[in-house]
Amino acid sequence: MADLVEIKNLTVAFRSKRREGFFRSGPSLKALDDVSFTIGENETFGLTGETGSGKSTLAKVLVALYRPTSGTVSFLGRKIDYRNKKDIAFLRQNVGIVFQDPVRSLNPSLTVKEIITEALIAAKSIPKKDYDDRINFITKLVGVTKDLLPRRPRELSGGQRQRISLARALVVPKRLLVLDEPTSALDVSIQAQVLNTLKKLKSELNMSCLFITHDINVIKYVSHRLGVLFYGRLVEVGDTRTVDTDPKHPYTQSLISHVLTLKKAGLQEAVVSEHRPAPSGCRYRIVCPSAFEKCADVPDWVDLGGGHLVSCYLYDRLSRKKDQAPLPAAATGG
Amino acid sequence: MLEIKDLTIDFVSVDGRVRILNDVSLTAKKGEVVGIVGESGSGKTTLGLAILGLLDSPPADVVSGSVVFEGRDLLKLKPDEMEQVHGTGINMVFQEPLDSLNPVYTVETQIAEALKVQRKRQNSPDVQETEGETRNLITDLLRNLCIDKPEEVLERYPHELSGGMRQRVAISISIIEKPRLMISDEPTTGLDAYVQNRILGMFSAQRKTGETLLYITHDLTIASQICDRIYIMYAGRVMEAGGTRTVLQASLHPYTSTLVASVPQGFDDAPPLAVQLGEPPDLRNLPTGCKFNPRCAYAKDICRETEPKLEEIHGGRYTACWRVDKELGRFS
Repeated sequence: MADLVEIKNLTVAFRSKRREGFFRSGPSLKALDDVSFTIGENETFGLTGETGSGKSTLAKVLVALYRPTSGTVSFLGRKIDYRNKKDIAFLRQNVGIVFQDPVRSLNPSLTVKEIITEALIAAKSIPKKDYDDRINFITKLVGVTKDLLPRRPRELSGGQRQRISLARALVVPKRLLVLDEPTSALDVSIQAQVLNTLKKLKSELNMSCLFITHDINVIKYVSHRLGVLFYGRLVEVGDTRTVDTDPKHPYTQSLISHVLTLKKAGLQEAVVSEHRPAPSGCRYRIVCPSAFEKCADVPDWVDLGGGHLVSCYLYDRLSRKKDQAPLPAAATGG
Repeated sequence: MLEIKDLTIDFVSVDGRVRILNDVSLTAKKGEVVGIVGESGSGKTTLGLAILGLLDSPPADVVSGSVVFEGRDLLKLKPDEMEQVHGTGINMVFQEPLDSLNPVYTVETQIAEALKVQRKRQNSPDVQETEGETRNLITDLLRNLCIDKPEEVLERYPHELSGGMRQRVAISISIIEKPRLMISDEPTTGLDAYVQNRILGMFSAQRKTGETLLYITHDLTIASQICDRIYIMYAGRVMEAGGTRTVLQASLHPYTSTLVASVPQGFDDAPPLAVQLGEPPDLRNLPTGCKFNPRCAYAKDICRETEPKLEEIHGGRYTACWRVDKELGRFS
């Protein structure tokens, strides 16, 4: 698979609002810190992590709603200069996005048809006479019936709204679709409909997806490869099946062991209190049961083969299969 | 200890009456965790509010039915009698914690207030804690809920906390009152997996002290973990009820089985998920017959004409479906 998107050492920092006299004084907050990964053509890349790990920030960088503080984003081999309007237009032409909240992401005063048409107008490249064909094609694909077109968002259910967001994002063909928690506001049966629609879309329209969610069951079901973020830093990347069955980073292990499924019985006791990131080095080291002195430096990426990368010094010693007993505290300190 | 019988509630507005709950019956024994599972709009939250007598009237209008808690019908209690039940008798964790916390008091004041009510109602003047002891009790509780540095959190106001923290503060207020019946309405929505597990663990530990828990959720995986029995609700009706394991693994009602099949399982190459055709029900405009029939793959003529009643199939297993054979005790 050729790479569609290449993200290299991406850092996004937000400046603190605290002021001292005239100058901003507070430390800046790194929402994303040195994140690198690629998304291949026709691939679904899943990105997971808990609240505040920077998942949504990454989505917004890909549609140029945020500008990287440092690092680069390359799209189709073209390095995006976020100060250049042409580059941003190029990025937005090729990347569609669906947000989490289906209520707030649609304009309440427009009809469904107007909402989808806006995306066509914004693309500029499409002749007006093709609008209707396009709208018919995409609405059929996402499962929005014709009678919904003259309605307004408030008359629709959550699942319908989310499918309209999908139609708006894809009415102009895109190379990459970014989905930021697209199903977490929906009921399970509606979530199933949206996930099925998404899989169908993927096979019909030759495109890649970046699927962001904290729900491991969902991400397993949709993605080929998986990246795990912990407070702005990527800790593990790899094939979904590999990461799920044989996670190497202690954070991924803890994350996956806490996933509830219908079949698995019994709760896994949480061993850590609130996750708190370390200011330097491996961010997980404060809560990591096996942290030792060396963890104060950021661990290098270790390539385990098959695209499975992990950023941990003890990856080989902490290895354990899923469903095994949790790690004893400080089992393998250096 | 809690017995709801044929509860029917309408919401009255200028456009007419809308039936939110229709003939809902539910029981909960002491020390039991009972799950109420359904999609949005199925009437789960309304049921919780009705038990507590918190529905505003108008628009709510209780048409018929009773809610008997410890031998008394809560719907017939006077407001001041009801107040005695609230808190230590029955309390509720709401879905939106910002609405249930007081914005002008610190977290500590609010939790301490709940503790004071609990001590007063228990009539145990000998358990007089000093301020320091109260504080220790509260910090221990918050630490148990995975809150880091609880001492700092205590000094804060609700708006200074993140959504997850607020939710945990609201839960701690409910827990510290040691209610005999606790209703929790989607308390772990939006929380990270490990915090969620911790909270669920605390809930299931509570039953050892004889507390009953009514757990309202749309998440089947959570219900499967902690509930002894579950009620599946759809369009204000109970569709199926019984022991959690049997309901989820050997569902009788087609609605339950599609709900179970909608939970994503397996990897990218797994088959498409079972999808319920059509849209969620519109309570203002429900179909005749079984309310699920437009989305049901097994609907027959009788399903479109007459509504099935909730009937006991065998030992504690109830369902409302024409396609379930009562003699055989299974779907046919």
